[in-house]
Amino acid sequence: MPALALVDTRHEYDHLGEIYLAIAAAVFAIVVLFIIFNAVRGRFRALDAASRTHENNPVELGYAVFLAGVVAALLWLTFSTEHRVDTVSLHEKPYTTIDVTASQWEWSFYYPQGGITHFSGFHGRQPLVVPTNEPVRFNLYSRDVIHAFWVPYLRFKRDLIQGAREVVVLDFDRPGLYPGRCSQYCGLHHAEMVFNVRAISPARYEAWLRSGGRAAV
Amino acid sequence: MSTATTPSALTPPLRTPGFVGALISTDHKRIGLNLGIMSLIFFLVGGIFALIMRSQLYEPNNSVVSDNTYNQLFTMHGSTMIYLFVTPMALALATYLVPLQIGSPRISLPRFTLAGFWVWLSGGLIMQSGWFTSDGAGRAGWSAYAPLSNGQRTPGVGMDLWVIGAGLAVLGMLMIGWAVTVTILRRRAPGMALLRMPVFTWTALVSVLMVVGAFPVLVFAMALLYANRMGVAIFQGFTGAIDWQDLFWFFGHPVVYVMFFPYLGCAAEAIAAGAHKRWFGYKAFVASMMAFAALSMSVWGHHMFITGGVVNEYFAFSSTMLIIPAGIEYFDCIGTLWGSSARFRVAMLFGLGFFIQFLIGGLSGIWVASPTLDYNSYGDYIVIAHFHYTLFAGSVFGFFAGVYHWFPKVTGARLREGLGKVHFVLLVIGTNMTFGPMFALGEEGMTRRISRYPTNPEWTTLNQIETIGAGIVALSILVFLVNVVVSLRRRVLAGDDPWQGHTLEWWTSSPPPPHNFDRPLPPIRSYAPLKDLQEQIEDAEREKQGAPA
Repeated sequence: MPALALVDTRHEYDHLGEIYLAIAAAVFAIVVLFIIFNAVRGRFRALDAASRTHENNPVELGYAVFLAGVVAALLWLTFSTEHRVDTVSLHEKPYTTIDVTASQWEWSFYYPQGGITHFSGFHGRQPLVVPTNEPVRFNLYSRDVIHAFWVPYLRFKRDLIQGAREVVVLDFDRPGLYPGRCSQYCGLHHAEMVFNVRAISPARYEAWLRSGGRAAV
Repeated sequence: MSTATTPSALTPPLRTPGFVGALISTDHKRIGLNLGIMSLIFFLVGGIFALIMRSQLYEPNNSVVSDNTYNQLFTMHGSTMIYLFVTPMALALATYLVPLQIGSPRISLPRFTLAGFWVWLSGGLIMQSGWFTSDGAGRAGWSAYAPLSNGQRTPGVGMDLWVIGAGLAVLGMLMIGWAVTVTILRRRAPGMALLRMPVFTWTALVSVLMVVGAFPVLVFAMALLYANRMGVAIFQGFTGAIDWQDLFWFFGHPVVYVMFFPYLGCAAEAIAAGAHKRWFGYKAFVASMMAFAALSMSVWGHHMFITGGVVNEYFAFSSTMLIIPAGIEYFDCIGTLWGSSARFRVAMLFGLGFFIQFLIGGLSGIWVASPTLDYNSYGDYIVIAHFHYTLFAGSVFGFFAGVYHWFPKVTGARLREGLGKVHFVLLVIGTNMTFGPMFALGEEGMTRRISRYPTNPEWTTLNQIETIGAGIVALSILVFLVNVVVSLRRRVLAGDDPWQGHTLEWWTSSPPPPHNFDRPLPPIRSYAPLKDLQEQIEDAEREKQGAPA
């Protein structure tokens, strides 16, 4: 398995998010300081002493060009991240495939290799079981309205829409229990449409599949 | 020079006195005021929905309301605020102010405008009447995604009424927007070239251009949705679901800017008056408005990054490009304050509050414009925080800047400054307590539109801070209403021009006469004709004292 090529959505999000957040914080601080400093300084100026300068088009034009550079840099960062998350990940050879079908208001997880179907949501409480550090391919389906498959730990979600299959390949970097939920409003019991992800080592995952999904996880 | 000056000699209008007269008047000031007052009432109604939701979320597994009621509440909160408050209020400001600012005695198509008001109001009342049906009000979210919004998944008359109401409300606003567009293009006073229109009028113009461009799509989409609910197969399968979102957001994103530009104009006018300087960088500002409007018609797909039905890169590109015009706006705001003689009247405070708080909404908007970041933020509380920082911490602050700035013009009386400052401080505290923690909740995985959430001490604390914040917001709105009542009861007369205003509405009496101007207009040589006069007087005085001008 090409362990180095694994696309870790959480890592990608955190990395890009840090850059965006740092820029946003700096911009916020600078702009607010400029606004408050100039307003307060103006408070101590006599009413008839206000400057009459009201235009500087060359500076504004230069500023617009600078902003265009910022846009280009942000888009370059975003597009290269998105390429890994959306395209590179799909080219990984999946270790296992799980069919996720959403309906009002239940998730069904079908594991073709073990012939297992489990449920979570309004009635069921069975976790989605996945192997760690291996690409897991999810086929996402909806039986009725639009739902969204969201695992906050992975910083990733995708819509499930009736009439189409969405394919995503995700990686869980360490064992654990992670909450997941529907994040597209889907009607009366939307709040109940929750599940847990149980990530276990590939060896335990194999054993779990062989047990027909009955082994404890 | 001044053809628009002696209108009373032209057509003595037939007037119906009293309450009925106020409802059927074709005076743009009366229509604008009626639209504004009704929008404000809907604002209070939508605010009460929000307070009930915040009470429900005070505890993780609270039972203030049922799931079904909660779903109606968030649907109607969003719908009321967007279709019945922020957008129509923006048009109310434009209807009232634009003819005054461009030196026109009236609005174009006055009866059409009046009809637009009544169509909008009927739509609003029809939408709200859903509460009184046995199934309750609309409950498919303000964006009514297909196929959830079809007759099988969300049955009931209340939802039908929601569809009809939203369609009519938007149709009414389209009519008003068209009248304002025609007014700006046809009724400017002699001398008022397009590039001499005041800043607010420019923000109103780009808004109504977007109304005219985008609103017909929603009227059409609501008609299709109604047919879909009646059993005509329209929004079917994957393509049907995506088609609805394309149609909806082709309206739904431009409307966000309709809900933003006029309030930006309010904040700009309030800051220019408070700074005793004309607005900085007029030409760059106008160019940025046009760029903003053009871009904002082409960003709707950023609401669909996780659907797999749009080209994410294109919409990420167009959305991130908004940095450029937004940056120019902020540059111009700082330029206006630079070298100013700023005085912190309440209108000025709200104007500054608009720019500072909207910045949080704007910067988080750049965040969600990145598809990979949006894969996490979509549909969770980060998005809720983002758009409330634009619409509430932004537009509503701009709205109050406009209210404190123009209240003397509309009523002839000033609002109390002391109560206004209490209102401002409470609103700043309440707003940031309510919407700030939402960023953290979203990052930690709280999704929107849920009435109960997992028991987790940190989530509970954050939600309780938000609920208390919402209470403080309510208190501040109460202070505002008290201020209005007190100021109207015990009037402090404002005079024609209490702020040394820059634009033509300050040239006429407060409130303005039926045909707006009873005396000849001053020469219009810039976007701040009255500021030109003030500067001439200043120069003359300095010359008299021997100082260099």
